[in-house]
Amino acid sequence: MLYLEGLTVQRGNKIVFSNFNTIIKSGSITLIKGKNGSGKSTLLRTIVGFTPLEKGTIKNDKKNVFNNNEEWVNNLIFLDTKTGLSKDLTVIENLNAWSTMKGWSSNIENLTMALKSVGMDKYADLYISQSSEGLKKRAALARLYLSFINKVDFWILDEPTNELDKTSLVLFKQLISKFLKQNGTIIIATHDLTIVEDQFNILDLDDFKKQRVL
Amino acid sequence: MNSIHSSWSNIFIAHIKRDILTNSRSLLDLISIVGLMILIIILFPLGLGPIKEKLNVVSNAVIWVGLILAIIPSLEKLLLKDFENGWLDQIATSPAPLEIIMLSKAISYWLIMLIPLILTSPIFAILLDMDLKNIPWLVISISAGSLAISLIGLSGSALILGARRGNILLPILIIPLMTPILIFGVGVNEAVKINESPFGNLFLLLALTLIYLVISPFISALLVRIAIGR
Repeated sequence: MLYLEGLTVQRGNKIVFSNFNTIIKSGSITLIKGKNGSGKSTLLRTIVGFTPLEKGTIKNDKKNVFNNNEEWVNNLIFLDTKTGLSKDLTVIENLNAWSTMKGWSSNIENLTMALKSVGMDKYADLYISQSSEGLKKRAALARLYLSFINKVDFWILDEPTNELDKTSLVLFKQLISKFLKQNGTIIIATHDLTIVEDQFNILDLDDFKKQRVL
Repeated sequence: MNSIHSSWSNIFIAHIKRDILTNSRSLLDLISIVGLMILIIILFPLGLGPIKEKLNVVSNAVIWVGLILAIIPSLEKLLLKDFENGWLDQIATSPAPLEIIMLSKAISYWLIMLIPLILTSPIFAILLDMDLKNIPWLVISISAGSLAISLIGLSGSALILGARRGNILLPILIIPLMTPILIFGVGVNEAVKINESPFGNLFLLLALTLIYLVISPFISALLVRIAIGR
């Protein structure tokens, strides 16, 4: 269970949200929706710990996650619209660099399996500079597979499906249901509420802001 | 606890490997540094005119100033590339502290960009008519000082992340920090020229390098955290 209590986040002079409360259950999938600029990405970056909190706490099972930041970030996979892929490296080199950066053993079989899980095994030696936006996104999504080998409880994904075609969307859904079966928790910021078929919760940032005004 | 630290060193080494691999794919940065350095070395004698003795007076300083000026354009990209493609966000979710990764960045920059300059510095010294007895000391002093230069450069590069017009800001911010390195670095060879012991200057240079080795990863990591928190 992830408890977000009284979150207030400020960017520059603008308060993005104030006194935001919610509970995210373990083993569930939460879709964050809201208008452009409503603070979806900021909320995700706050949960990961990038954007500093003005007020409030984020607790994972009664413990403040930022008290042991190392444990927290190691327990999650964060995927932004900026994928973190170096254009000078190939798909598999990027995945390898990411996996060792996470402190995980990166043997070639696991990496190949990960690429296969998003249908990227054919493109393992393709340079990122030569790949399309959709392939880049899939190369980044291949990281999610590694959480079935190493211990990860949270996926925090920002617009993961934007550039995906139908076949890769199916593969992505398979990854999601496999992770949910492992009692993993998924938080996704998206406009497209059809990306999951399983039970999901919706966190509507626009609604929250309306309530604050009333 | 031990296993955590061994994984830190693995991550440290893996990150240096990644940077070297990335840079080996596009050698343009390295070529531009060495090219700029050669241009500075060539222009100085042309500007000084035909009197040979003048050259011997300035040769030492020209190499050091050339080194500092030549690396400025590449410093700007040292962290900016990784910031723009989102890699800095990803390494902030690494179990290794950001400070360790920043240190690996400085080391890999030193290995990739500055080692070639150190290796070619004897050639530059000969082009500038430096005494042969000075050349080993030049290599030693540049080796010691250039690590400090890359550490300062890393902090500067972290400072301009997300800033508009960072490329103009960067030299103004970091060249003043590099002046002590320049003074003691040049001092090593000036001492050799007048047959004095160069060790006083060399030890001060090493001391400065060690100071920057300790503080620069912390400053850079702090600045990167601010940049990705915006």
